[in-house]
Amino acid sequence: MAATRRLQKELADLRKAESKAFRNIQVDDSNILLWQGLLVPDSQPYNKGAFRIQIDFPAEYPFKPPKISFRTRIYHPNIDERGQVCLPIISPENWKPATKTDQVIQALIALVNDPEPEHPLRGDLAEEYSKDKKKFFKNAEEYTKKYGEKRPSD
Amino acid sequence: MTSQLGKAPRQLPVIRACSIPRIEMAEELDFQYDPEKNYDEETLAQQKEIEREIVDTQQLVGERVSFDRLIREYAQEDEIYREKIEHLKNLYSCVRKTRGDGNCFYRAFGFAYLEKLLVDRTDVERFKDVVSKSLKVLVGLGFPQFTIEDFHETFLDIVNKVTNHCTHQELIDTFNDQGLSDYIVVYLRLIVSGHLQQEAEFFANFIEGDRTVKEFCNQEVEPMGKESDHIHLKALTDALGVCIRVEYMDRVDTHTCNHINFPEDSKPTIVLLYRPGHYDILYSNADMILFQRNLPK
Repeated sequence: MAATRRLQKELADLRKAESKAFRNIQVDDSNILLWQGLLVPDSQPYNKGAFRIQIDFPAEYPFKPPKISFRTRIYHPNIDERGQVCLPIISPENWKPATKTDQVIQALIALVNDPEPEHPLRGDLAEEYSKDKKKFFKNAEEYTKKYGEKRPSD
Repeated sequence: MTSQLGKAPRQLPVIRACSIPRIEMAEELDFQYDPEKNYDEETLAQQKEIEREIVDTQQLVGERVSFDRLIREYAQEDEIYREKIEHLKNLYSCVRKTRGDGNCFYRAFGFAYLEKLLVDRTDVERFKDVVSKSLKVLVGLGFPQFTIEDFHETFLDIVNKVTNHCTHQELIDTFNDQGLSDYIVVYLRLIVSGHLQQEAEFFANFIEGDRTVKEFCNQEVEPMGKESDHIHLKALTDALGVCIRVEYMDRVDTHTCNHINFPEDSKPTIVLLYRPGHYDILYSNADMILFQRNLPK
């Protein structure tokens, strides 16, 4: 299967890179198509916690894009209550088979650190973000402290 | 041919934040928006259904069929197309159909060309050399080496197999194995993208809409399922140094098909048939004799 060979390569590459922003990558031996990892943003207000994410690769990978979802609740205009995220790099019609998972994660980190209120999944949060950033930051920080995962110490 | 949506779905009432493909609006004036309903999922489900239907009914690379069979696809009163098929019948022996999944140009080109290499080895060494060097070109343009290598190696493996020992049936099977077949499509798409970017100054003049060559490649070349136009054909044939002819069969009332060679003043190695949105492969009588004589058993 094309997916397995490529994903094994990508996984080894990612683990070797030891990124501080995306770590603890867990993949079940029986299913290389399902990854979990810890996203550790470094921008306010999300730098008060960490977020577990899941990456689902389709059997047709790399011809079809992976799906990303948040397993930890997050107060973010581009991520909805179900943890779904709208990331153009992995939208079915823009997906390029040569795109590496590493690039997808970089795009995700960039989106978390720098919300795009003009393409929201949660209109209410986008509005708050655009109109009253101070309030948004306060809420997001509280939310992160309440629901976020513990940040790794190093 | 990308999936033609048979039934147009309801008008999407909210601005799409995510890039759900745009669909022509249906004239459903009595439409009531139901906030409980997930229209994105509905549209996606419908698209999946159409894709499944295409997969079930069309092989990636099908059998050769006669023009008499092709003509049955058209209504008796469809004189323009019937006349054009009669015209093709005088020039060619038969046609091989490919799946209408938006990748047909790459698949038709790849199959027809490699099939030609099975019976005519003249171009083998030159082609292998071009393919070998293409990796460096792509990496030089900033494509991620790590993933490009994967596509390059698989593509080169297939080319090597074809030029060493491969039966006709093995080639057909390779192109109908979705995993391998799509690897070929991806690599040909990358070659087109690479060539367009390398010659960006020239190709910029032919790109519609306000976008750069790089943006065009991101949107119209590299993603799977994006249809091909003149610019893609020119880039691929230039980059690989392979000459092709395309017979254009459209609704224009000209009695015969028009053809275009890529490059213009070349002697084509393979011929493709274009019908709006789709490419298939054409075989001449000379091709058929060559296959009969030289195909490895």
